[in-house]
Amino acid sequence: MKPPALEIQNLSHSFEKGNYILENINLIIKSGEIISILGSSGCGKTTLLRIIAGLEKQTRGTLKINDKVISDESYSTPPEKRNLGLVVQDRALFPHLTVYENVNFGIRNSSNINETPHEFLKLFKVENLHNKYPHEISGGEQQRVALARSLAPYPDILLLDEPFNALDDQLKSELHNETKKIFKERNLTVIIVSHDISEAKFFSDRLLSIDDARIIEHQM
Amino acid sequence: MQKNSVINPWRVAPYFMLVIFVLPILIVISSIFGEWSENWSHLYEYVLFDYIYNSSVLVIGVLFFAFILGTTSAWLVTSYQFPGKDFLEWALILPLAIPSYILAYTFTGLFDTYGTVNIMMRDLLSLEENISLFPNVRNLYGAIIVFSFTLYPYVYLVTRSAFLNQSQSMLEAGRLLGLNNIQIFYKLGIPIIRPAIIGGLMLVAMETLSDFGAVEHFAIQTFTTGIFRTWYGMYDIKTAMQLASMLLVFVGLFVMLEKYTRDNAKYTSKSSTYKPKKLKKLTGHKGFLVSAFCFLPIFVGFILPISELSIWMFSYNLNFFDQKFLMTASNTLFLGIISAILCSILALIMNFLIRLDNNKFNRIIGSLLSLGYAVPGLILAVGIVQLFVWLDRSVFSGSDIVLTGSLIGLIVAYVIKSYALSNSAIESGYERISITLDESARTLKTGDFGLLSKIHFPLLKTSMLTSTLIVISEVVKELPATLILRPFNFETLAVSTYIYAAEERMIQASAPAVAIVLIGLIPIIILTKMIRLSNVGRKQ
Repeated sequence: MKPPALEIQNLSHSFEKGNYILENINLIIKSGEIISILGSSGCGKTTLLRIIAGLEKQTRGTLKINDKVISDESYSTPPEKRNLGLVVQDRALFPHLTVYENVNFGIRNSSNINETPHEFLKLFKVENLHNKYPHEISGGEQQRVALARSLAPYPDILLLDEPFNALDDQLKSELHNETKKIFKERNLTVIIVSHDISEAKFFSDRLLSIDDARIIEHQM
Repeated sequence: MQKNSVINPWRVAPYFMLVIFVLPILIVISSIFGEWSENWSHLYEYVLFDYIYNSSVLVIGVLFFAFILGTTSAWLVTSYQFPGKDFLEWALILPLAIPSYILAYTFTGLFDTYGTVNIMMRDLLSLEENISLFPNVRNLYGAIIVFSFTLYPYVYLVTRSAFLNQSQSMLEAGRLLGLNNIQIFYKLGIPIIRPAIIGGLMLVAMETLSDFGAVEHFAIQTFTTGIFRTWYGMYDIKTAMQLASMLLVFVGLFVMLEKYTRDNAKYTSKSSTYKPKKLKKLTGHKGFLVSAFCFLPIFVGFILPISELSIWMFSYNLNFFDQKFLMTASNTLFLGIISAILCSILALIMNFLIRLDNNKFNRIIGSLLSLGYAVPGLILAVGIVQLFVWLDRSVFSGSDIVLTGSLIGLIVAYVIKSYALSNSAIESGYERISITLDESARTLKTGDFGLLSKIHFPLLKTSMLTSTLIVISEVVKELPATLILRPFNFETLAVSTYIYAAEERMIQASAPAVAIVLIGLIPIIILTKMIRLSNVGRKQ
């Protein structure tokens, strides 16, 4: 049997001593599963995503990826060694690199990649922009490039933090359909943090929310 | 972020840098706890009071005039539209390109009895040859004028940007409460930006106390000339270091005041209700008077010395590019470029470390490293010489002099003195790089070195270039440290100017002096560009 893509055991986190933003979180995400985490702003959903990515160190608890401990109270694998993809709301494209170079950035640092940056650009319909710089393309196109870049190194899990938030409704729905199709075709494990319930329902196999520092599972 | 069992060189680097930066200064301070030589009774009886009195009067006088020139001109260019305002607004920083000692040399060349201006006036008025129309400038008052007109831009720059942040609504409220234009300036404008003014004035005070070339030329007994004479005249390095420690106490006070005022400067920043100031139009005699007032410091601090240097150069058919000049210039540029590259790399590493691990220790070390700018070059030189002598004796067993009198000492002094300039350029560059770029790079399998070389460095290229150019121009001007630390027979432009001026060979001094001014214009051009950009922003 395939091990869970991600397993979180008894995870708690506080920024100030004693004031927990996440408390005793237990979560198992199967390989190929898409889950969404909902919650009001400041509830800790982005913090949970950052802890999974290794950008924040949890106060307590253990994280496993593919059954391997990547972080516990005494040790934390640095983000660059976790093989995760991350897309954030402001896209964080490297402004000094072209679209092609942005997508190639993660590929250069990875072994066993069979696809070229062009194939990822094609997948997200931005292959004609390969020579452009981020400031020369639209917000929707930037989001496609950010998604292509995050998928290019074949991450074990893709983390999306409000990825479609800055887009208008028409663009959002267009990108939703295309992105979901790609996720499913590639059998990707995806965690989406969102405050938009319809977006979360559209993408997810499972729906979770964070309330009062604890995680709650909802019926679809 | 993660625990490392192995010592990471990135994280050890700041401590290593701190030791190198602090050691020369600690060596100087430690002299207080050593023996006090017999020379102290001579110093106490004859010159110590003069050092304290002259240094204090000099600083107070310069602070007064720099305050008047800096704040008034900044208020005028940010509050009024008058003839030539756009030109004057950026030209007011031009005197920064003229080191105080060069202004001092040109002042004597202009106003001595047989100086250019006196000769011209005598010819014009058909007066006798021995009549001098201008008072002697080779005294404390002349020095106050020289320092005020070269250093007021420090006050001008900070107060101008603070005045720009003042809201029109607040000034209008003042008018409605019965204040006229002049009262608005000294009852509202000035008190509100007090921290910025004090910060600028403290820089002026530190620069004044650090100077050696101008006070030496005017034969004024201050701490710096005293340290130099005690060392080279009495051959008493211990007493020189003890005097240097006393000077450090004064400088330390100004550093603390500057830091305190900078930490308390927050209330001058823009609020959400900020409304840009409307420029009031001044025409006729009022416009002329205001233009003349703003032109005066540019005339005295930049146009006069440049004119005198040009007269020396051209009317005496000076061979600018002789072999000696070229050698001196290449020595200077070599030192400038090496120091600037080192400073920029160190500032990049330190800021990168703070970015990686923004803990209290790293931030404190970062601030401590930047304090080198406040330490007079002469004191740094004394500390470095002592450190190198000790290293040569103990580490290199005294068989050969390896470090003492080598270029390494000069480069170390320049790096310590100029690090703060590099740091501020790189720090502001880092502020423009979003942290999400780092996070994305991390998840794309980029380690510390990759993050620095592939993301930060390309995005910081402009900041690195700015840092390099500013440090080069600073190194080119530095006189006292160079004078002491240079290898035998090794001359830089500043040393060459000093030696010629000391021999009253002003014409020969003009070639290296002009080269110093030209290189000193580099940061001015950068600052001008920034001022112009802020003006475009205001107009939009």
